Amino acid sequence: MDSQILYNITHQEAFGLFIAVYFYLTGLSAGSFILSTLAYGFGMEKYKSLGRVGVILATLLLVIAPLFLLLHIGVPHRAWHLFVYLNFESPITWGSFLLILYPINCIVYGYFMFKEQKKLTRLFGLIGIPLAISVHGYTGFILAFGKARALWNTALMPILFLVSAIVSGIALMILVCIVKDRFFSKQKKIDYPLLESLGKMLSWVIVFDLFLVGSDILVLLISHSDAQAAAHLLLSGKFFPLFLIVENLLGKILPFILLTVPRFRNLATMIIASSLVVIGIFFMRYVVVIGGEFIPLL
Amino acid sequence: MKANKKRYAMLIDLRKCIGCNTCAVVCKSENNVPLGVWRSWVKRVEKGTYPNAKEYFLPIVCNNCEKPICVTVCPVKASIQREDGIVYVDPHRCIGCRYCMASCPYGVRHINPVTKIVEKCFWCHHRVDAGLEPACVLACPTGAILFGDRNDPESKIAKALAENAVQVIKAEMGTAPQTFYIGLDQEAVDAKEADTD
Repeated sequence: MDSQILYNITHQEAFGLFIAVYFYLTGLSAGSFILSTLAYGFGMEKYKSLGRVGVILATLLLVIAPLFLLLHIGVPHRAWHLFVYLNFESPITWGSFLLILYPINCIVYGYFMFKEQKKLTRLFGLIGIPLAISVHGYTGFILAFGKARALWNTALMPILFLVSAIVSGIALMILVCIVKDRFFSKQKKIDYPLLESLGKMLSWVIVFDLFLVGSDILVLLISHSDAQAAAHLLLSGKFFPLFLIVENLLGKILPFILLTVPRFRNLATMIIASSLVVIGIFFMRYVVVIGGEFIPLL
Repeated sequence: MKANKKRYAMLIDLRKCIGCNTCAVVCKSENNVPLGVWRSWVKRVEKGTYPNAKEYFLPIVCNNCEKPICVTVCPVKASIQREDGIVYVDPHRCIGCRYCMASCPYGVRHINPVTKIVEKCFWCHHRVDAGLEPACVLACPTGAILFGDRNDPESKIAKALAENAVQVIKAEMGTAPQTFYIGLDQEAVDAKEADTD
């Protein structure tokens, strides 16, 4: 039957652009940290030069990220309430502690790395991995606990966030390594074999990410009516250009082709592919956060 | 729900609702709600086409759920469920993170544009504690809204809940809403703005 709304109120946006940026930055930080532990935590010597860059990036990004939370909340001078009035059922409470512990651990880990104290570096690197996973994983739980929104309320959300964090972290690392080698190293020579192995790693994590996004959408499409509406919003509604074209085609599929087809593989395509991924993952955060609450609830 | 304990509930008889918006207006005046936001409002939906058209009114207030997701997710315990079931926001504790707004299935929470903290309908607990009825209940010209202790078998609302077929909005969310309706139209609940699909 035809039904049409004659009057309804408009609802305020709950999570906006600042939250999307915050998720993006913590993702980049967690990804960078995990890369930096490849050599210092797991002893993969060929990634040794990533260690220092990784830990600096991880720390810097994670110092900037919570500033966006302060911009988001209505009464920033009450942020201390988060550490006094605890509600352990709320992912934000988990996060307020992770956001303190993780940067501290990053700094300690970085300190020992620059002091060349191998054993302690390894120890804090290995402590840092669960922290890095939690600090980004919890943001997935924030959205997953928003049970009113079909796009968020899925158990896939934390792992989806983690995998896209690693994707964006590797891509950022490739770009930073190129800039560092080209302009700030003694030899001014780019370590191409290292970039190539990072590129290979990136392309396979992209495949896993695409698999997760695909599973999420497929299940939404046959789930309850709100879920179907959310899936259609991404596939054919207002978010179709951002989700299908920017996030997945330009941000994942095209970089994957550039990175894997041998004919295309060179430094220039590596730069293009990594830039596209870094931009694409930003729009992934944007689509999930803003798209998730785009459809009114009542 | 524990018996022998006070548990407030609200029952809105949509057969009596004439869509006059008095509840929404009196709520604004009673609770000093700023321009642009609402603690309660009346959604109007038209079904069918002329001459076979009918208008449906859906007055919406907070459901003061038995299992409120807003209380679960609030990181500073500013969203509080009282012993008698009323869910309210402590204005001195809320930091305005909006997580409750993001997770509430009913969209009944808003950020106060002046104070930047989250506010919502709490069934006028200041009036209830003083032995009065919530403002919307008192003001409704057709007496469509009932409010009271549903665990007291002698109360009007306990009887009305027992005698009528009642519905709640979005029972599937598992929040156990305590604002009940008589004659709730599913299509009126589900109707969304046209430009969103």
